[in-house]
Amino acid sequence: MPALILNALKILFLILIFLFLWQVALAIRSHIGTSPSVKRSKGGHDLVVLRGDTKKGTTIHLRPSGHTIGRSADADVVIDDPYASEFHARVETHDGGTMVHDLGSTNGTYVNGRRITVPTPAGKGDTVQIGKTILEVR
Amino acid sequence: MTRNTEAVFILAGTVLASVGVAMVEFAGGGWLDANVALTFVSFALAFGSLHVSFRLWAPNANPLILPIATFLAAIGSIEVFRLDPELAALQRWWLVLAGVAGAVVVWLLRNSGVAVLRRYRYLFLAAAIVLLLLPLLPNAWPIHGATVNGSRLWVRIDLPFAVRAVSFQPGELAKVFLTIFLASYLADRSEAMSTVSRKVGPFSVPEPRHLGPVIVAAGAAFVVLVYQRDLGASMLLFGLFIGMLYAATGRGFYLGTGLVLTAAAGAAAYTMFSHVQTRISAWIDPFADYTGAGYQTAQGLFAMGSGSLTGSGLGLGRPDLIPAAATDFMFAAVAEELGLAGSVAIITAYAFLVAVGFGIALRSRDRFRKYLAAGLTILIGLQSFLIIAGIVRLLPLTGITLPFMSYGGSSLLASALIAALLGRISHEERT
Repeated sequence: MPALILNALKILFLILIFLFLWQVALAIRSHIGTSPSVKRSKGGHDLVVLRGDTKKGTTIHLRPSGHTIGRSADADVVIDDPYASEFHARVETHDGGTMVHDLGSTNGTYVNGRRITVPTPAGKGDTVQIGKTILEVR
Repeated sequence: MTRNTEAVFILAGTVLASVGVAMVEFAGGGWLDANVALTFVSFALAFGSLHVSFRLWAPNANPLILPIATFLAAIGSIEVFRLDPELAALQRWWLVLAGVAGAVVVWLLRNSGVAVLRRYRYLFLAAAIVLLLLPLLPNAWPIHGATVNGSRLWVRIDLPFAVRAVSFQPGELAKVFLTIFLASYLADRSEAMSTVSRKVGPFSVPEPRHLGPVIVAAGAAFVVLVYQRDLGASMLLFGLFIGMLYAATGRGFYLGTGLVLTAAAGAAAYTMFSHVQTRISAWIDPFADYTGAGYQTAQGLFAMGSGSLTGSGLGLGRPDLIPAAATDFMFAAVAEELGLAGSVAIITAYAFLVAVGFGIALRSRDRFRKYLAAGLTILIGLQSFLIIAGIVRLLPLTGITLPFMSYGGSSLLASALIAALLGRISHEERT
């Protein structure tokens, strides 16, 4: 077979290889990168991601009915954090104040650095840590 | 990502392997023949059975393990075929056997889960030790060890009715068994081992008795080095021990001690054994003894150099000039025929596999599963790193196989078992 065709085949084969790897890379990204679901409404507090694998600055607007936060795709707020439990914590808004409940998570929920055992109020400027993700109430 | 996507990836990898084999035949002036079809069938059978086993008994398994494994095996098989079609015919059998064995493991664990492995940890330890010692059996026995290229890590079984002796490398399986034992051992003890009770100068040091396993690990690796003259297996085992200790405790102290012990053992081995000295001098200057000790390394360097950016093309280089090209020097052979582009693709694929493996470990809630996934991942990552680093002269050459790619039944079997176990572990996280 002429060298020219063989050369073209070689390049084609390399392209095939990288196409395969590219698809794998895309699949890996979609497999681990569950994007945080951002929900917007009016009034009340916001939770802002300060640190963690979930994109920094992601804002979750708190609605009065409350949110579950966790690694599960079924949680209201999905955070991409291997140290978080499937349903890690619940944040509720009562009369303008925000209450944080731990849902029996493995690694605990921390409000201002202290592990909580009972529902704990969190006001503006307080931090809530879930796994290694740190959120701030604003 | 679902099981269907996984099936599509496996099919694509299978086609990739067949296309590569066809290209090797074109390059040799031939035309499509049975080899292309047989490659397709063997890949479909091997990875198809693993895929079906995941579908039936581990439906939530991570769907990215098998695609990457298929990819690596495809490139490896093409190169094995290019080097020696007869070897490739054997490799096809090994591949199917390994795939079926992996599927059987998934089936065996279908009800009990990997947790059952934890209970039999001492059985696995004993099996690993026996396997590691098997090659030391005297030559006169029906089951005996064999010295190949100065290392005694093969076992031959002389069957009265078979034409040729059945031979295998028990160390390949032993390392998987050892990982299971270590994961189980550490799952019980990691908490005690990670507590820091005392300080010596600037270093925080765990209780002296927790150093026991590190010393045992170093000792075992040293014994393998002394009696089997196998630098690769010894470094791999020691690295695995230290890596798992670090993964389980999160204490840099174990890494530091491991490095110090490696340096000490390395220095001791260098002064005591001639084969280690040869390896080191062939590493520092392979051209000083080009026709002797440095020949393999030097040929590998020439091969990679002539490969340049996109390689000579499949079947158009001379990777057959490298000693042990189909096993230890697989990477150099691929680098010659597919060039820098192909070698980067391979390293990327290993990196993906390691990322997927550690992802599984991170997501595991159970300690044993976490450490097992981490250990198996360390095994694949470290093994591919050690041999590739040896070939490109980043580290002294250690004769070990490239997981999934190199020719060899034992190596393929171990790789398939690791893939099956990782799949099962990831399945248990999602149920």
